[in-house]
Amino acid sequence: MITIENLTVKYGGVVALDSLTLNISDDVVGLIGPNGAGKTTLTNAFSGFAPVTDGKVVIDGVNLLHMAPHKRACWGLARSFQKVQVVDDITVADHLRTVLTANGVPRSARNARMSEVLDFTNITDERDTLGADLNPFQKRMTEIAKCLIDRPRIILLDEPGGGLSEGEMQHLRFIIRETKSRFGAQIIMVDHDVDLIRDVCASTAVLDFGKLIAFGPTEDVLRDEAVKAAYLGR
Amino acid sequence: MPRSQITPLAILLIGVLILPLILSSLWVKVVTSAAIFALGAAGISVLFAQLGLINLAQIALIGVGGWVALRLNYATPLPFTVIVVIAGVATAFVGAILALPALRMRGLYLALVTLMAAGAFQILFNAFQFPNGGEGFWGVARQSAADIRRPSVAQSDVGYLRYTLVIMAAGFGLVALHRITGPGRAWAMIRQSEANAMAAGINVTFYKIWAFALSGLLAGIAGALLSGALGQLDARSFLASEGILLFALAVVGGAYSWVGAIIAGVLYKLLPALLNDWGLSADLALILFGAALLHAIMTAPRGIAGQLLGALQRKPS
Repeated sequence: MITIENLTVKYGGVVALDSLTLNISDDVVGLIGPNGAGKTTLTNAFSGFAPVTDGKVVIDGVNLLHMAPHKRACWGLARSFQKVQVVDDITVADHLRTVLTANGVPRSARNARMSEVLDFTNITDERDTLGADLNPFQKRMTEIAKCLIDRPRIILLDEPGGGLSEGEMQHLRFIIRETKSRFGAQIIMVDHDVDLIRDVCASTAVLDFGKLIAFGPTEDVLRDEAVKAAYLGR
Repeated sequence: MPRSQITPLAILLIGVLILPLILSSLWVKVVTSAAIFALGAAGISVLFAQLGLINLAQIALIGVGGWVALRLNYATPLPFTVIVVIAGVATAFVGAILALPALRMRGLYLALVTLMAAGAFQILFNAFQFPNGGEGFWGVARQSAADIRRPSVAQSDVGYLRYTLVIMAAGFGLVALHRITGPGRAWAMIRQSEANAMAAGINVTFYKIWAFALSGLLAGIAGALLSGALGQLDARSFLASEGILLFALAVVGGAYSWVGAIIAGVLYKLLPALLNDWGLSADLALILFGAALLHAIMTAPRGIAGQLLGALQRKPS
């Protein structure tokens, strides 16, 4: 259960998030809205990269905003970025090892965990490939594997479907749907792809100009007139 | 043993066995100095290659290590090798303090802060000089320097060259070990993006301080070795401008490999001595360095070492 209460983020005079209040309980929740609506700002507020001026984000009774960014990760917050953050000169396995070390996972458990997420994300063959030699799909999967390997409570995915082909999207859908049952993590996903949101998200929140304009079961939200006007341009 | 470890060890063995045999006594001293500054340059490279941070205060830190070593040499009966280690650790702490501004700054601003720190040390060294066996805390007397204890295996200059080469290699090994283990991976993530590193749970502050401490450790060891090599240190050798020069040479040599650090040490100490030997002004080295730096910036971002290693790798195929 994620409770966002009166969350406000300001960049100078610009109010990027305006007293946002939201309760999230579904396994996979979508976050949509036009460019500049505050979607990425919200994920950054979760991570500790945005200047939060007011409000709180409470997950399982813990206020995230009281923790330093890296502590939030160790506590159980994982995320991917809009622009994939794969390091060119270290291998896929090293990416995962870094997360395991940073989060203090015992050595004995590391190999099994690594095999499990590599298999799940379908990049077992790329285990020892350098970041620079991965194709865009493999990079994206490396990021998701990095998110999963620490067994987080929450995963924030910022446009995970960007630049993927239809076949690759199928695999991404499978991963997103199966994450809760296999790894126990709740997913909040920002994306522009309405089909992807419709397929995998039980509920969806819509932001516009830093305000919540709709929240509820995905189908209902996508039929909402205000959402169509703001987001779908109809 | 993998090939990546055999080559450097073979080169070290050749250096330790052959170099002392073919060098005259003057050149033994010059090569010893070059090896010492190669170790210092390796510290600059750690920060530059692993984290993209510019440290212009490395010469100042070498001075700190030298000061601590001289101080301990005159004040305590500790063996030289122990003094080298203590000087290294003490300088690592100073390096870690230097990291504090680096937590919020990078690029030009960080370079300026380290330059200011180097300037401050230059003033301190000038004001208090290096201990030479005198009384009191500062240990400076109007006399020629008292003796420096060298290790029993390195009493002669040739022995000291061997000793220096082995410690330099151990320092390079320590850097290599960092690169392939946890800290190196964490540094790679931080270099990619600090947000990304934090989101992966990496304590960015801790690992940045660690990198500066490692850089300081190498500088401190280099400074202690220098005090043993020269017997006394002169404040004029630790000017802030020398820190800029050593940084530039670390980039010219190549910050991404130990070969680059050796090239930096050779350029810094051996080239001016060679020019002198050929009857040319040692200041000519500065002109050559300038040209080399332009070359590195424009065509060889991985330095001379990067070009050499690239050429070697292409050859077999």
